[in-house]
Amino acid sequence: MAASPEPGAAVESSDLQLAELVRQKDRKATSDLVALHADAVYAYIAHRLQPNKTHAEDLTQEVFVAALRSIDGYRGTSSIRYWLLGIARHAVQDHYRQSLKEASLEDTGVTGVTVNDNLPERIDDERQRERTERVLNRMRQDYSVLLRWRYWENKSTAEMAALTQKSDKAVERALARARRQFSELWKETL
Amino acid sequence: MSNEEFVQHLMLIAEAPEPVRAPSTLKSRIYSALQQEQSGTGPLRSLTQTAAGGGRLCVFEKLVQIAPVGEAMKSRNPCRVCHARVLGERVEGAPIWWPNCPYVRFQNR
Repeated sequence: MAASPEPGAAVESSDLQLAELVRQKDRKATSDLVALHADAVYAYIAHRLQPNKTHAEDLTQEVFVAALRSIDGYRGTSSIRYWLLGIARHAVQDHYRQSLKEASLEDTGVTGVTVNDNLPERIDDERQRERTERVLNRMRQDYSVLLRWRYWENKSTAEMAALTQKSDKAVERALARARRQFSELWKETL
Repeated sequence: MSNEEFVQHLMLIAEAPEPVRAPSTLKSRIYSALQQEQSGTGPLRSLTQTAAGGGRLCVFEKLVQIAPVGEAMKSRNPCRVCHARVLGERVEGAPIWWPNCPYVRFQNR
């Protein structure tokens, strides 16, 4: 969970002061909130929603508005950035849930592929990461969302099924097809 | 390596986002939205209080702050009618350079 908010993220007294000034509707504090944390929130959301940059921007804005509305609830038990990323994480999960709820998850002819026994060991992580991102961007959107939700947010099949109001079997089958499509595109994507 | 392990391995490698800067137009729109949200529930903290607390005002805010007008006027959002906001929200790398203007601060220069 490297991209998620890190537990124990330190709270600085300046965070409490910033939150208090935002509560008082101090415009400079509000601009500090945006200037200091928008990059991190956007990076987190954009990575999880890629390649949909427009939606990532909309969602980033929604996160800040939601944070402002609940600033009274910020007690300083975590840093402001950790708190904002927590809101962002919920927003992303809600986006995943909504997009899968609306998706049919039907089989559209992904063939059975078995390409996975020779992961090139000499390719460094960075190249694998870039190639994986290209594959995710080429995949069927609902399949790509399934894989991100499963592996980046650690959601189990049962949890995804419950949240999207689909059967466990339907999600399991879709996940298997998603993995097959991933493997197939991996071979094609250099 | 099974198909599941193969996919999982690569997904975990790709999990962490690379550092990315948010577009300056996005930061500008967020700030405007927050200001609108705050203005919608009552007056903003007055410019006099903000300046007294160490907040640095832009030239337009400074003019409003020293003008012989009531605190109610100083608790409004002058950015609403400022060209810097309009440019900041619409143009990446907007040609604005006013000191202490939030929309200038959001530019990724």
